[in-house]
Amino acid sequence: MSLFNTLRQKASSISLFDNTKPQNQPKKLTKDELFREEFRLPESESIVDEINTEVLIVSQEDTSSDKEHSNIVYSGKLYLTHHYLIFRDSFDNKSCVFIANLSTIKKVERIPSKSYIFALSILTHNNLKVLIQFIGIRSKSEQFSHNLKLQLKSNIPNTKKLQPFLDTLYSEFLIKKNSTTDPEKKNEIKLPEGGLGLIYKFPGDLRKLKDKSKLRLWFDYLRRYGRNLSISRQKMFFKLLRVGLPSRLRGEMWELTTGAMYLRFENLSVYHKILEDNEGKQSVAIEEIEKDLNRSLPEYPAYQTEEGINRLRRVLTAYSWKNPDVGYCQAMNIVAAALLIFQTEEQAFWTLSIICERYVPGYYSKTMYGTLLDQKVFESLVEKTMPILWSHIAKNDIQLSVVSLPWFLSLFLNSMPLVFAFRIIDIFFLHGPKTLFQVALAILRINGEELLEIDDDGTFISILKDYFNQLDDSAHPTSSDPKFRSLTKFQELLIVAFKEFSNITDDLITKERNKHRPSIMSNVESFIKKSQIRNLPRCKHLKPEHLSNIYDRFYECISLNNITLGIGSSTMTFDTFREFLSGFCDWVLHDDEYNYNENENDFLHRLFRNWDRQKQGELTLTDVVEGLDNFYNDDLLEAISNFFQIYDENNSEEVDRETILQISEGLLYLTKRLQDGLILDKLTQESIENYIADQIISKKKQTGSDDKINLPSEVEINKELFQREQGERYLSSASNFIGRAFEYAQPVEDVQLIDLGNSKDQKTLKANAALDPNHPLTLNLPTFRMVVLADETYELLFTSTLLSQIHLDRETKVTNKSGVLRDMFDGLIADGRRVANQVRRRMDSTANNENQSTKSEKSKLNSINDAEEEEEEDEFDMNKDYITDELLNNAELQVNDISDSHPIPKDDKLIERMNDLTLNNTEAHSENLIEFEH
Amino acid sequence: MSTQRSVQSVKLVLLGEAAVGKSSLVLRFVSNDFQENKEPTIGAAFLTQRCSLGNNKTIKFEIWDTAGQERFASLAPMYYRNAQAALVVYDITKPNSFIKARHWVKELKEQASQGIIIALIGNKVDILEEDESLRKVSLEEGENLAKEEELLFFETSAKTSFNVNDVFLAIGNKIPNNDQIGNGNNNLGNNERNNGNRVELNIKNDSPQSNNCNC
Repeated sequence: MSLFNTLRQKASSISLFDNTKPQNQPKKLTKDELFREEFRLPESESIVDEINTEVLIVSQEDTSSDKEHSNIVYSGKLYLTHHYLIFRDSFDNKSCVFIANLSTIKKVERIPSKSYIFALSILTHNNLKVLIQFIGIRSKSEQFSHNLKLQLKSNIPNTKKLQPFLDTLYSEFLIKKNSTTDPEKKNEIKLPEGGLGLIYKFPGDLRKLKDKSKLRLWFDYLRRYGRNLSISRQKMFFKLLRVGLPSRLRGEMWELTTGAMYLRFENLSVYHKILEDNEGKQSVAIEEIEKDLNRSLPEYPAYQTEEGINRLRRVLTAYSWKNPDVGYCQAMNIVAAALLIFQTEEQAFWTLSIICERYVPGYYSKTMYGTLLDQKVFESLVEKTMPILWSHIAKNDIQLSVVSLPWFLSLFLNSMPLVFAFRIIDIFFLHGPKTLFQVALAILRINGEELLEIDDDGTFISILKDYFNQLDDSAHPTSSDPKFRSLTKFQELLIVAFKEFSNITDDLITKERNKHRPSIMSNVESFIKKSQIRNLPRCKHLKPEHLSNIYDRFYECISLNNITLGIGSSTMTFDTFREFLSGFCDWVLHDDEYNYNENENDFLHRLFRNWDRQKQGELTLTDVVEGLDNFYNDDLLEAISNFFQIYDENNSEEVDRETILQISEGLLYLTKRLQDGLILDKLTQESIENYIADQIISKKKQTGSDDKINLPSEVEINKELFQREQGERYLSSASNFIGRAFEYAQPVEDVQLIDLGNSKDQKTLKANAALDPNHPLTLNLPTFRMVVLADETYELLFTSTLLSQIHLDRETKVTNKSGVLRDMFDGLIADGRRVANQVRRRMDSTANNENQSTKSEKSKLNSINDAEEEEEEDEFDMNKDYITDELLNNAELQVNDISDSHPIPKDDKLIERMNDLTLNNTEAHSENLIEFEH
Repeated sequence: MSTQRSVQSVKLVLLGEAAVGKSSLVLRFVSNDFQENKEPTIGAAFLTQRCSLGNNKTIKFEIWDTAGQERFASLAPMYYRNAQAALVVYDITKPNSFIKARHWVKELKEQASQGIIIALIGNKVDILEEDESLRKVSLEEGENLAKEEELLFFETSAKTSFNVNDVFLAIGNKIPNNDQIGNGNNNLGNNERNNGNRVELNIKNDSPQSNNCNC
């Protein structure tokens, strides 16, 4: 349940976030964001300066191979960020891309030259010499070099981090080891820590994979063009990556191409700190991780050992703490297990972070919306690029995502043999998400003909399964050309993926994602809503549409309150609860309309605690639904005992003196709007109806029997009078309540001391004890019930008045703060039919008594109501035009016009007397109160 | 119907909390095999198995084995759509998995195709052999839920194969015949073509336990 809650929260926060932007419109990335994305830089980097330059990069380590790699000058743009110096050629953006962390820059020199040329020479830790000639205005060049100086200066503290970091890198080891010829020195060079493959062997036949020769090529490249934190990526770089990375270097290159290396360098020791800080802690994610540890690439030997399992556990656990919104999702175990074959824990941790947050955002989230979204995108790409196959799939009702979803989710790792999946990942890390789409499309394209033959998901899956198992086979086994024959199916797959589907670009993916996002989001939301409502406990009083409204408001309230805090939670605090209730309950008052302090809010606090079954100080959706279900109860006795329970917090079935006072406060709180006359209860409604009826009768008498009475227009109501009357009635009920409660409460006494024989004395003793503020007393449920039932107004409160102020069938928006209170006069006296019945009844009785009845008169009155005569009491004919509206409107209109000319109804005196009584009562009571307080 | 042996395809989906043994039940049924550490299912896995019932009826189960982790729940409708049968699996040693099973049953009743045959499965009874006290969901609780919701009910062990084939047999017997209910698939066409493809699934099935399920 709790998982679902967070899930829901996640979904709603995402869509809320989306709602703040015009839908269907792609979110425009800022220049810095695009820049960071292109060079996989950490969030903290932004462009400080940029300038056009010409750049020449030469290595001082590699002097021999200049014949092969001619020294080419590239023109392009040079960027400076807080910690990086980046050059990108302007030819095709990939002929020469140089990325250096400022810590790797050992020396910057101004090259002496002719006055109109401004040039710098930069030397890096790996002896790369970068010659930069600035193009453009002199002052701009000066400024850039000044900025560079400033950044270098402020970066000085970081430079001491460099050497220890370099010691963790295989590339440095590789160069050092192969640069010395002295065998003794060679042995001194220590192999840095690496992936599990170093201990348990790397998957695949390394000889067949030509690992050694690949490593040799990389050795040349890394020496010539730099490595790790200062490297120039040239054509050869991409070429070498495409043929597959050598196993020993793979971990570091993954780290480099994803940008995880930059994150790790920036956040040294953070990984270990996360683990330390959370040691021994438990979480749902950890439970889920434990379930899967023994089943992550179980065929790889390391994952049958403690060592392998422990590494995997630590990486997944640390990530679940780093990003609790994701926590742990199945498939992450497979991805992390794959990373750990080539990477150290720390490398794998940062690479995993980047995968989850940048490469496939939302894939592993609690709603998995990213996965669902990309499946939709994939389907639409299939439709675009392979319309015939798509229409075949659609026609046969085959669900493509059933097949393709695991490809994306586990980055092909559990779909094809690992050695091939790793090579796809090599390219995926370099080129990003489009790679997954390109490969997936190529798989369908290559198997297209066979797939067109089948008509069910099962065969569809098994064709592709077979295909994945044959990736090592020749793609053209019968070809006469040996070169062709030696081409494997896997090579063919890459060719089709990156040649034929080269039109699948990042931009296209982004566009498609933006297009489908809103519908996916709303699907996810409605799915979660449905399942969450389905899993709520059974309700006695609430109807499904109530639940739907409660659900909507619940999450609307907590999202609003949490988004600003940036916390994802699925429970509500007291303040949110108050906000939540105000959408449904008229009696929840707002600060501005209620002089609110702790005491006055006592009722809501108690209600909150009463609903908080787990006693966590927060309410879940289930708590709220159960609470409301209990509260929304029209059974008088249950409603009274539920109310009593709110005050009987320790379930002792009785409450003490202090609590009795609080109950009466609570009742006053709940009836505030009734006291103010903003809402009219049944009693007032009836007396208004009676009043109208009286008026009609007396009018009739005055004007003579034959005149047709225009019923509505000639009756006016003194609105304030009824409001006041009701308000006083409520105050009087409150004071009666407290009076009676104290009268009937039992003093807490030593039972043995009472002389049972002398009942009279005992009674007085009790009464006295109750009035004595120092004597403790208790009120139990039966007595409380009796006290409530003794008062018609309060009895009604529990049967209908309270209920009629809860509007669960109302869809509320949080923005509209409190439920809109209409002028209740409009609503409540709208029942003209009842008034008419009253009039008829009275007219009948008058007619009988005074023997005055004439048929004509009766029929005239009936003419008002004849329509209703055939109907049941509670039935309306919707098509019939009841005169009620007109009646009331007219009545309202004429209140002012006619009120002067008509005498005050005779009841008024009675009301005045009642007022006196009430006042006396309250006075008397307030004296009591003062006494008690002493 | 009398002499000709009819083969009927039945789409069956497995649902239940993570690591309750869904995939293991399928592996036991399909290959009569058991693996201690089975990789979690990502999305879903698809397998088939034939099962011959007494009355000249053979059923080809098309089994969709789904991922158990809670967040995969939003993908489940994709897999149980058009399913004629479902196994809702829980682990008798994990009370939470039983609560989850209850939720799945509710969801299926509400969302899946009408008349879907649901079997409630309490798996991992083999664990009780070590220690009876490890049982956390009683037999009665399972039976009661099954009765309440009108489900088939079994306690099983994919490890020892206890009751596994019986589950599928019971479902097979409850599946209405093809000619009674048109289920939209032109099954005969399918089967003839598939006969060749899928033999390998049944090769291992010569152990005594699966004597009901061979072709």
